[in-house]
Parts: sequence; C-alpha cells; structure tokens
Amino acid sequence: MRRLRGAAAILAAGVLVLGACTGDDDDDDAGDTTTTEAPADDGGGDTGTDTGGGTGGGDGDTLAAVQDAGVLRCGTRDELPGFAVLDSAGEHVGFDADFCRVIAAAVLGDAEAVEFVDLETADRFTALQAGDIDVLVRNTTWTATRDGAEGATFLQPNFYDGQGMMVAADAGFGSLEDLAGQVVCVAGGTTTEGNVATEFSRRGLEIPEVLPFDSPDLLQVAFQEGRCDGWSSDLSQLTGLRSAYPDGPDSLVIFPDAFSKEPLAPAVADGDSQWAQVVNWAVLATIQAEEFGLTSENVDQVLAETTDPNIRQFLGEAGEDAVLDPGLGLPTDFAYQVVSQVGSYAEIYDEHITPLGLERGLNSLWTDGGMLYAPPYR
Amino acid sequence: MTEPTAPADAAPSASRPPLWRDVRILRVAFQVAVVAVIALVLGTLVGNVRANSERLGIPTGFEYLDNPAQFPIPDSDFRQAQPVRDAIGEGLGNTLRVVLLGIVVSTVLGVLVGIGRLSGNWLVRTAARIYVEILRNVPLLLLIYFSYFALALTTFPRVADAWEPLGLALFSNRGVVVPWVDGGIAPLVIGGVVAIGAAVGISRWRTAVADRTGAPAHTARYALPAMVLVLSVAWLVSGLGASIPERDGNRVTGGIRMSPEYFAIFFALVIYTASHIAEIVRGSIQAVDRGQGEAASALALSGSQRLRYVVLPQAFRIAVPPIGNQYLNLSKNSTLGAVVGYFELARVTAISVGNGAPAVPSYLLLLAIFLVLSLVLSFGVNVVNRRLALVER
Repeated sequence: MRRLRGAAAILAAGVLVLGACTGDDDDDDAGDTTTTEAPADDGGGDTGTDTGGGTGGGDGDTLAAVQDAGVLRCGTRDELPGFAVLDSAGEHVGFDADFCRVIAAAVLGDAEAVEFVDLETADRFTALQAGDIDVLVRNTTWTATRDGAEGATFLQPNFYDGQGMMVAADAGFGSLEDLAGQVVCVAGGTTTEGNVATEFSRRGLEIPEVLPFDSPDLLQVAFQEGRCDGWSSDLSQLTGLRSAYPDGPDSLVIFPDAFSKEPLAPAVADGDSQWAQVVNWAVLATIQAEEFGLTSENVDQVLAETTDPNIRQFLGEAGEDAVLDPGLGLPTDFAYQVVSQVGSYAEIYDEHITPLGLERGLNSLWTDGGMLYAPPYR
Repeated sequence: MTEPTAPADAAPSASRPPLWRDVRILRVAFQVAVVAVIALVLGTLVGNVRANSERLGIPTGFEYLDNPAQFPIPDSDFRQAQPVRDAIGEGLGNTLRVVLLGIVVSTVLGVLVGIGRLSGNWLVRTAARIYVEILRNVPLLLLIYFSYFALALTTFPRVADAWEPLGLALFSNRGVVVPWVDGGIAPLVIGGVVAIGAAVGISRWRTAVADRTGAPAHTARYALPAMVLVLSVAWLVSGLGASIPERDGNRVTGGIRMSPEYFAIFFALVIYTASHIAEIVRGSIQAVDRGQGEAASALALSGSQRLRYVVLPQAFRIAVPPIGNQYLNLSKNSTLGAVVGYFELARVTAISVGNGAPAVPSYLLLLAIFLVLSLVLSFGVNVVNRRLALVER
C-alpha cells in the first residue's frame, strides 16, 4: 500500500513538472511575440528563429532598451594604451572609448551616457551573448568564426590593423626569420596566437614556441625577465605598449611588416539588425564627417555658412527644406551630436593613436588611399 | 497537488484524518512539491540557455570538438590545425601531470613535515612549524604568482647566462633541461612497471624468508639493485641513446624540459597542499593513544621503529579520509595554473572559447571532466581507506 502511494506521488510529481514546463514554454512564446513586434525589420531572417526570452541584447529591441535606460553599456578593456585606459581621474580614455561615446551621442544625444564594462579577452563574447553589454568596442578582430559561432555581428571596422612582432633592441634579431624556433609571447584567447604559427609555417620557417598570457601586464613582466624573445600583437597595440615600456621606447624594436589582416570592428549580438544599423551609421558618421572636413571645433560655423546640401542633410539641418530621416531609428541630428560632442574620425585618431607614433596608413580616407569609405548619406 | 493520490486513500476506514491533515500524505506531498520546484527551476534554466543560444545562432551540441583549435599549445607537438578534441586531450594530460605527481610529492613532503612538527629536536620542530604556519595562511593564488614571477622568472638566470653544471643539465628562466633517454618513452614505462613488480616480489620473498628463518629481511638491500638492473636492461633494449641538452644562442635542444610555468604551478601546489597534509598527519599522530607509544618503548623498540610499526599505522587510519580531501583540493586547485600561462584543462577550455568554441557546452565538458577526475580520486582514496580499516577487525 505504501509503495503504491509512493509510486502515485512520483507520478503526480512527473505530471506536475511536465505541466509546469510546457506552461512555461507557452508563456515564453507569448511574451516574445509581443516584444518582437515593435521593430519593423527584426533580425529573424538572420537566425531563422524568434523564440527565446530573457533580457538579452538581441531581442530586436535593443535601441528602445538603450533609449529607455538612457545609458549605453559598452564593452571595452582598461589595459590597452591608446585604445582604452583608465586615467588618473577615473576617466576612460582612448580610441575605443571614444567610439563608445560616438554611439552614445548618436543614440542618446549625450556622449557621456556610457557605462564602460571592462572585459577580459576570454569573456567578451560571452558578455555580448548574455546581453550584459549593448555593443562591444574592444579591439576585436572580425573573423568568420566569430561572426558565425560566437553569436556576434561585426560592423564597419573602425581600425584596420595587422599583426606585427616586437623584440628587444639589444637582442640581435633583425627580422622575422631570426625568430624561427625561438619563444614568442602573445596575448591569450585572441587571433594573435594562431597567426604566429601560421605565418612561420607559411614562410617555411621553424615555428617558434608561442606562450600566451591573459594580461598585457603579466606578459610585459615575462618579456622583461627574458622569458621570451619576441612579443607579437597587433601593430597598434605594440606601438602603444612600446610607448609605455618602463625601459623607454628605444629599448624595443617593432619589425615594420605586418603579417595578418586584423580589421578591428565594433560588434553587436546577432538577431537585431536595426541596432546593428544604428551602431554602423554612428561609426560611419565619424568617417563621413572627416570627408566633409567637419570637426568638433568648426561644425557650428560650417553649418551656419555652408551651402552644400549634402552637409546640411548629413547634420540634420535643412533650413527651409525637408529634413532627411533615413528611417534608421536615430534622431535626424545624430551626426551633428556625434561631431560636436566627440569629433570626426581624424580628431579621434589624432588624439589617441597619433601620439603612439602610428601612421594613418590603411586608416586614411579612401580619397587619401586608405580604407575608410562611408556609403552616401541620403 | 495531492489529487492524484486521493482514490488510493478513499478506500480505507473512515477513522483516518482528512487528507490535508494526514501526516503520511503531507510528507509525500511536501517532497513532491520540492522535487517539482527544483525541476521547474532547472527546466527554466535549460530552456533559457537553449532558447537564447538558438536565437543567437550559437551551437548547443558538441560538434565544435571537431573544429580546428586554431591555437598552439606550448611544450607539446600539438598543431593548431588539429581539432579542439585533441587540444582538450593535451590539456587533460597537462592537468594530470600536475595532479598525479603533485599528490605523490605533497604526500611525502607533508608526512615528513607532519612528523617533524612532533620531533624532539628543537630545530626540526621549529622549522616545520614555521613552514606550516606560513604556507597554510597565505592565499594559494599569491603563492603561484610568487613562485612564477619571483622564483621561476627572476631567481633563475636568463637563458643567455644559463647555469650548466658539467654541461649535462641547463637551468634558466626558460626552464630546467636535464638529459633524457633517446627514442620513445614506451620501453622506459614498461621497464618501470617491471622494476616495481620485481621490487614488490623480492620484498615479499624476503619477508617470507625472514618470517621462516628469523634472519633480517634486508628488503631494500635486495630490491633496489634489482630495480636498477631492470631499468638498465630496459635502457639497453631501447638502444642506450641519451639526449643531452645543448644551447645555441637562446635556443635549447635535446634533453627533457620542465617549463617555468609547470614549475610554478607544481611547486606552489605541492608546498601549499603539503602544509595542510602536515597538519593532518600531526593531528592524527597525536590522536593515537599515548599508551601505544609508551608500550612500544617498553618493548625496547627504537624511535623510528616505534613510529613505523606502532604509531604511524594507526595514525594513517585516521589521516586517510582528510588527506583524500586534500588530494581533491589539489586537483581542483590545479586550474589556477591558468594565471601563469600553464596549459591545463581550464585554460585550454577558456582559450578555445575565445577562438570560437561555444561557451556553454565547453564549460559543461570541463565540469564533467573534473567531476570524473574527482570521483576517480575519491574512489582510490576509499579503496585505500577500506584496506587500512580492515586491519582493525
């Protein structure tokens, strides 16, 4: 009798659990359809599914969520000189940090409405997937696997980089060939570690031992102590690290040739193409502003004097004519906010990257032979 | 909630209390409710993971194990075009290298220090006490950083002015390289197994002889030469090759190498775990009745005989379960090797996640592997424990 009752109880539990689960699923679906109705062009086509819940960044309503919150959560790193570091006043300073401000200025009209989220290399995609950040502007290389398997959508690259090699000036290494079979330190969890071996086997050289470190600070200690002969990273980072090296920049030599393509691009979570377009056009606005010769200093003056309809349209100030709203979901004066509060691409680059001693190179406008090319704003 | 059980209860006599006051039913109902709540929470969590992964197009299966790893592993023949599966295998091998060797060395060190804590010699007693008090009260992570940056990288010379005693070995902050046999490791492993077997057999034979004739057993005097003999034969068979480390500029070839990263995590784990084992051993020895030691003295056993034949066997019976816990701690703490760039399992997992492997299945796999490892270790400890307990009768 007792056993029978136990069995009945277990049965009842099973029924309850099953009922609870299916009921929960129903709720999820119902809740989801209501939330995904709002944006016109939801990213359903990207992923082929609309199910799911939670407060993740990819529900198709990131723009509305950011505007409601009044603050943009931007994933960066505090340890990359030139790109994002914390200064003594607790301010986030750098190229990546400024692009976070660009996006905030475009979406919220306030460049300071940014919550910077400091992310380790290994955590950055997880944070994006989990919806802990709205956008990742963290020196991240756009690759096929990351586009596909990490649930990230990469956008307009804001920096075209390439991997290089740095050695101690007194070590007697003249070129990459000399490092065959030696020891090379790199940052772990990045494309960097794989590129070294790829490059050396491409050149038919003995592959060096590659030693990855999680933090640039620890890597620098190991390099100083002679644990490794070479220090490989993106050229922009090497330049930044060299400029801040304790023994002085002259004790290090960076080989001039880059041996990989590293397009560093902002990324958003898959499944919200409206938000992706918004971020994309915020970044493109800085490039377009440079092409128009606009800066944070002269934008008001140009706006008052110019007769170029393209510039007036771009800045959302049409005078008697109709104002262009391309339907991105952004305010019509977003480009004006970006330029007046943060600046053009040239201004951001000159402020943070030029002091490191890095030429514009690929990061020049297309009119100067570079890669920066914004689609027309019309 | 209790409705499905109602018909079963309706039949018996009317003297029973109503359902909502029947203790037997309430007991069952309460358990059902707890199980239902747990299942509901788990179901929601799993459902959320699945739904979110699907929405973002992140794979939830284990197919990623066949993708190329796209990162190299130092100190191994691993090529980055090999699948993630192989990388995890390498990581497991590196973890086991730390854990298994670490268990042996920390046990020996811990037992010695634990006995030293109770030594009659003031210097030994104080040194053991200082060791235990310092090591036990320092965070392990700090110890690992210290043994990497302060010991392995800074105390050892740079490779350019490496210390090369007799030109045979090479000590530098790029690792310690010692001569090693040429060719495969297989003859050596087989030789080692045979040698241990021979030693065990000989010591059994000598013990039997000693029991029969009353002559001293002299186990070590017979077994050790036998081991050396067997290993020499194995080396002869494998071709008698030796590879001596040689340095050419910054490059070191030949020999067998222990990397500074391995040294750092191994050294820190061993001295840390040994300090805990030492305290367990000390406590266990003190837990053995004083009369046992006094009785042994009365039988005119020497100090070491008293420890070896009377006190320690009883102390170990008490010490084995808590020492087993320390083994589990050591195996789990080995994941801290990641902070100094040692490629154990957790670090391999983290790096493969950074290179495109999906996070949830990757970390689930990591959890599963460590669960199995811990269960195997506790099983081993339980076996030892049961054998020791049997002696008690």
